[in-house]
Amino acid sequence: MNQRVLLAWVWALVVCLLLAYSAHRWLGGRIAPNTDILALLPIQERDPALQQAFTRLVDSAQQRLIVLLGTDDWAQANHAADAYDRVLEQDPGLLQSANPITDYRDWLTSFQPHRLNLITPQSETDLRSQPTQYWTDIALAKLYSPFVGLQVGAWRDDPFGLFGRWVQARAQETPVRPRDGRLSVSDDHLQYVVMPFTLRVPAFSMKSQRAVIPLLEQASQAAKKTAPLVEVLVAGVILHAAAAGDQARQEMSTIGIGSSIGIVLLIWVTFQRVSPVAMILLSVVVGCLAALSVCSWLFGQLHILTLVFGASLVGVAQDYGIYFLCHRFGVDAQLDSGQLLRRLLPGLVLTLVTTVIGYFGLALTPFPGLRQMAVFSTVGLIFAWLTVVFWFPILVYPSASTSAPFVQWYSNRLARWPVLCVNRSTLLAAVLFIAFSIFGVWQLGINDDIRLLHNPPKNLIDDQIKLSRLLDTPSPVQFYIVRGTTPEMVLQREEMLKQRLDQLIEKRLINGYQAVSNWVPSLRAQTTHRQLVERSLLNEGGPLAALALRIGENGGWVAATRQQLLTSASTLTPDDFLKTAASEPWRHLWLGQVEDGYSSIVSLRGLNKTSLPELQSAAAGLEGVRWVDQVHEISSVLSRYRKYMSWVILLSYIAVYCLLYPRYRSSAWRVLAPTALASVATLALLGIAGHSLQLFHMLALMLILGIGVDYGIFFQESSTQTRQAAWLAVGLSALSTLLSFGLLGLSKTPALQAFGITMSIGIAAVWLIVPCLRYDPIPTK
Amino acid sequence: MTSWFTACGVLFGAMPLWADAPVAEIQSMLAKPKVLCGDFDQNKQLTGLKRPMVSNGRFCVVADKGVLWRTLHPFPNTVRLTRDEIVQLQGDRVAMRLDARQEPAVRMINSVLFALLSGDLNQIGKFFEVDGAIHEKSWRVTLKARDPALVRAISKVALEGSEHVKSITISESSGDRTSIVFSKIQVGEGAMSVEEAALF
Repeated sequence: MNQRVLLAWVWALVVCLLLAYSAHRWLGGRIAPNTDILALLPIQERDPALQQAFTRLVDSAQQRLIVLLGTDDWAQANHAADAYDRVLEQDPGLLQSANPITDYRDWLTSFQPHRLNLITPQSETDLRSQPTQYWTDIALAKLYSPFVGLQVGAWRDDPFGLFGRWVQARAQETPVRPRDGRLSVSDDHLQYVVMPFTLRVPAFSMKSQRAVIPLLEQASQAAKKTAPLVEVLVAGVILHAAAAGDQARQEMSTIGIGSSIGIVLLIWVTFQRVSPVAMILLSVVVGCLAALSVCSWLFGQLHILTLVFGASLVGVAQDYGIYFLCHRFGVDAQLDSGQLLRRLLPGLVLTLVTTVIGYFGLALTPFPGLRQMAVFSTVGLIFAWLTVVFWFPILVYPSASTSAPFVQWYSNRLARWPVLCVNRSTLLAAVLFIAFSIFGVWQLGINDDIRLLHNPPKNLIDDQIKLSRLLDTPSPVQFYIVRGTTPEMVLQREEMLKQRLDQLIEKRLINGYQAVSNWVPSLRAQTTHRQLVERSLLNEGGPLAALALRIGENGGWVAATRQQLLTSASTLTPDDFLKTAASEPWRHLWLGQVEDGYSSIVSLRGLNKTSLPELQSAAAGLEGVRWVDQVHEISSVLSRYRKYMSWVILLSYIAVYCLLYPRYRSSAWRVLAPTALASVATLALLGIAGHSLQLFHMLALMLILGIGVDYGIFFQESSTQTRQAAWLAVGLSALSTLLSFGLLGLSKTPALQAFGITMSIGIAAVWLIVPCLRYDPIPTK
Repeated sequence: MTSWFTACGVLFGAMPLWADAPVAEIQSMLAKPKVLCGDFDQNKQLTGLKRPMVSNGRFCVVADKGVLWRTLHPFPNTVRLTRDEIVQLQGDRVAMRLDARQEPAVRMINSVLFALLSGDLNQIGKFFEVDGAIHEKSWRVTLKARDPALVRAISKVALEGSEHVKSITISESSGDRTSIVFSKIQVGEGAMSVEEAALF
């Protein structure tokens, strides 16, 4: 007796410490949920250098924001952009304009000293093959052309138009053009002002989202006030993160509040007094607080989806309390609570262990978000369980209860529930069940799509699609990573890759590629280019001399021009380039020093699904070049773990059976069979309902095992006298679990939705099947 | 109606009185034929070259279609500018083709050139600040680019004309200067030769 009181006090101390720690974290503002939309995505099995390169890419991408304002009149669009800017200037700490290039002349000056080294692949071919006549024709055509718009710089600086061609090729990497001090892009109908921004606050923090999103909305209103017909397109990771955060917050409160209210009502109606309600809430609150604190201590930051999923914990954590209370207010009024606990303890231990095994399945996946959910739920359950074990016997006094009429009615159902034994009706039921299962499971498709994990609102996707069409942006999820020990090696490897990509452009599999080596050829290539120009154009008696004859200039002019051209042949390095304003749109391609080498990205424009296999094989055999297809990688991880989880589930069944066997011996199957049958029925129902099987259904099946076995244990632990109490406990537990996971099934995140739906069907099925397999020593007539 | 516009101009201070009147008046002086063809004589003075580059040829401006610019002497070269592309021909060979889908500037270049050659000052006004004067039946305007980037490339453009544009002078910031004089201007369907029509 004394020992029990002591343990209760120790537990009280632990709970107090927990309270203090939570208060400290909350008040310190350190439990700020994170809305990183990538958190649910798997950690991929990559080598560290690749992973670091990747992290750098993601970090720079998530801080970008791009705004397009379009009207049919450029001046109007400009006014709208001015109005938009004025609003953003109110809070300069949030967004920074990333638009340093407003004049293409500035842009050109950074390349002028390197002119002779910068030529296109086509020019290179022409220099090797075309006769003198070809080059003098070009020079003369340029000379007599009245159109200034197509020329860059003075004629004598680029008489054969090689640098002009190169500039034109660079300009064509993007349809965005500087115009009137702004960037512009247009389609057949509208002219858009393009405004790139860099976020100065972290995109995934809710605090910055709350500041940035309303400001953008306000700016957009201001633009619309100036030009009522203006089309505003915005894209950026922060928009997705904010939308995901809003949705998650809403779902979290729906599930949390919904299941709390449901459980309070359920228990109050069942026991018709306040104290059980208070007791159950106590255990759930301690569980949830502990889950929050331990997770925030372990992971530093809590992901918002963990909270959404964690909200369903409410429906599971109260199972132990319910079990205890159902017995307390059931038939065992003559026992004191301590003795009662001792009798219930073996069952309680088993239920806890099996449920933890169920949640453990989530932790076996490489998804950081799921691991956090697993830890959250496990910690919550353990603390709720300990609260029941340490406090309930002391706080709950034995007393007879008056059952509500519906509880009476529900309890009476049990006597009429069919029991399976060897007879014809059981056989018929078995045949029907097998037929139904085969029919249902047969229809299950398979779905490993990445959209299960991240499903942004349609308007964001629409904007994004339109924006990438207008800007002809390269694919953000499929690209090459090129690595080498020196920057020069990276550039040379890029050039080798590009030769292969040029063939794919000819086959029209892609429109083009973006790479730093487009702007900064490798030293080797720059030297080759310079020597080629010298040899093919500036040689004695070559095209330059022939040209001089045609325009009536003498040998002195030829020598002077040659000299002048050769002065602008200094070497351009990646470092030089990255310092120029012109490099701003391309800086993300250069990942720089990563681990003990250098890395860069070669990204692709205009690729489609059919070109993916050829793009992948383009990297084959090239040292240091790696094809990255994130969509494919994530889908394959989802698929791999879907298969892997089916084995884990089978093994878990065996493990749980071994766990149950020492206590239940030959009856252990009665505990396990309801969950197994319920799982098969769930799969069949999902198939009939037209769902496609995905990893998250499998994870839910794992959890059905964890929770469903509890009901089997409740029943198996009961004697004929306490069977009513077990039946009631199962009913209440199942109802509250159904409520929690049913609400999770309303989530807009497809993964959580699948989870909720599967759980709801499965738990309902276990509830219905468990009494069928009860061991009844007195056969019912 | 005119006075109402003027009043607005004064109120907003956006349009100086003297600039507004010639544009409208010059617009009214210009014949706006559907097809306009003629000869041109071009004189180009380039820095770093002793002699001016003198050339001549034929040109056509066709409404809703574009511009055909054929240098005949001393170096045959044809440039065709339409809404969707700029094509440069040397004999029958396509020496260069610039597609508007690849190069968005194509449409802008074409509309500027079309506006310049046909003297469409309203259109020109979108890209340049127009300053002009009228003397009896002829007019003269100088243009300054609105885009600061363009200002640094082309310091000044001067146009002269009466019912058609008679000459264009382009001064570039590099010191290069191009002057083009138009003559033998014909309008209407018959203005274009069969050969020219085939090139379009």
